[in-house]
Amino acid sequence: MNTQALGVEHYLAGMRAALDDLPPNEVAEIMEDVEAHVAELSTELGPEETIEQRLGSPEQYAQELRQAAGYPSRTERLPVTTKKQVLPRPRAAAWGLVGATGITLLAGAASLREPAVLLLPAVIIVLSLALVHDRGPTQQEIMNLPETVRLKAWLTPEAGTPAERAITYLKSLQPAWWLVRAGLLGLGAVLLAGRDILGFLAIAAIAVVSVFAGPRAKVDRRWLWFSLPASALAVGLLFQVIDVTAGQLGYNASRSSYSPPVMETYDNIYAYDENGKLLTNVLLYDQNGQPINAPRNYNSCDEPGSGPEPVIPANRYPRPQIDYENGRCYTVAPSVTAPSSSPSTTSSAPSSSGSATSSPVSPTSVSPSK
Amino acid sequence: MDTSQLLKGVLDLAVLAVLRKDDGYGYDVVRRLRAGGLNEVGDASVYGTLRRLYNAGMLTSYVVPSEEGPHRKYYSINETGRARLAESRETWRSFASTLDGLLEEVAA
Repeated sequence: MNTQALGVEHYLAGMRAALDDLPPNEVAEIMEDVEAHVAELSTELGPEETIEQRLGSPEQYAQELRQAAGYPSRTERLPVTTKKQVLPRPRAAAWGLVGATGITLLAGAASLREPAVLLLPAVIIVLSLALVHDRGPTQQEIMNLPETVRLKAWLTPEAGTPAERAITYLKSLQPAWWLVRAGLLGLGAVLLAGRDILGFLAIAAIAVVSVFAGPRAKVDRRWLWFSLPASALAVGLLFQVIDVTAGQLGYNASRSSYSPPVMETYDNIYAYDENGKLLTNVLLYDQNGQPINAPRNYNSCDEPGSGPEPVIPANRYPRPQIDYENGRCYTVAPSVTAPSSSPSTTSSAPSSSGSATSSPVSPTSVSPSK
Repeated sequence: MDTSQLLKGVLDLAVLAVLRKDDGYGYDVVRRLRAGGLNEVGDASVYGTLRRLYNAGMLTSYVVPSEEGPHRKYYSINETGRARLAESRETWRSFASTLDGLLEEVAA
């Protein structure tokens, strides 16, 4: 079966070579007929029979067809090997398709954020397809490009090898991929629906058409200009969805181990008025009327015989700064230790001397009677 | 006598005739011609004739996808083709009867 398939390819290559002086679109039309003919005929062949025995050599076939079709006779005989395959248009179109597919893959990964990036590959696709749209559904010239032939050879390994089995298996998954692709594109469209109505419509349309494009591309290679970029877009969207999901999972994971930041501990509060004057005896309450009490660090005064702590509301600020000296506790004017980062906009920021003298809590010994 | 020489002149007519009722792809047309008795008709000649009739605007074509193998391009006759068929048939009939007459004289 494989040798027959090889025979078919060989025969068709001979045909193309024998017709290559005719206009490309006419050759494409002829080869569309002949490919089906040779393929169907090869299934009727006996085990020892060859296509040549049934149809004559490719050159004879081509010659007979030329006469019947009224084409001019072959003008020059070009050996197949020296045939120059420059063909700028098919090549440009093929590489345009490859480029557009690659860009779509990259752009697809960003398309949910900015669907307009898809316009770039879309333009390339339209331009490159316009180059070869008139060359018929088989796009024989592109199939004959050396790079295409190499790719095809690479994709059709010898029968029986693991690579061949893998590719056969992957090919069998193609219809499933068409559905998955439509699903991914549909998901992308839905994700866009709330934010970008044009992007939603475009991707939704691509999703719908992609269902038909897969099978159509089998018989009309021009559909590849839709089908390949659509696949790239679907894969790009998949990447993006994975990326977003992974990001959310990571966020959740970090949140589960998240501990609230340690509240900065402070044990005193200094309030200043707009003139930078330290306010004293300020009572602070929260929204529930509960006194706001800074942690108290009076433990150093719990020396034996020092008596109970001064009876002042715990929410009155600034609190007396307690100094422990010579076995006695002193309250120290807050200005001495007032935060250096106190309002700098005011020139009269608490100066140690000014506020110290004006402060009613100038150093006094903590009297137990108070 | 080698009928393939005769066939060359009337293959257009034969191809148009077998497409008159049903559209057909190339190999289909070959089979119909052979089934009709034209055993010597060459595959390539039929395909070439189809191309010529198509390029002359007597046939239209459309592609039908095939599950296995390449798709098939069907040809169907259009009004120009039908007009040509009718015209060629008259030409053929008068030609054939003329030749019949000549051959009768020879036989007599």
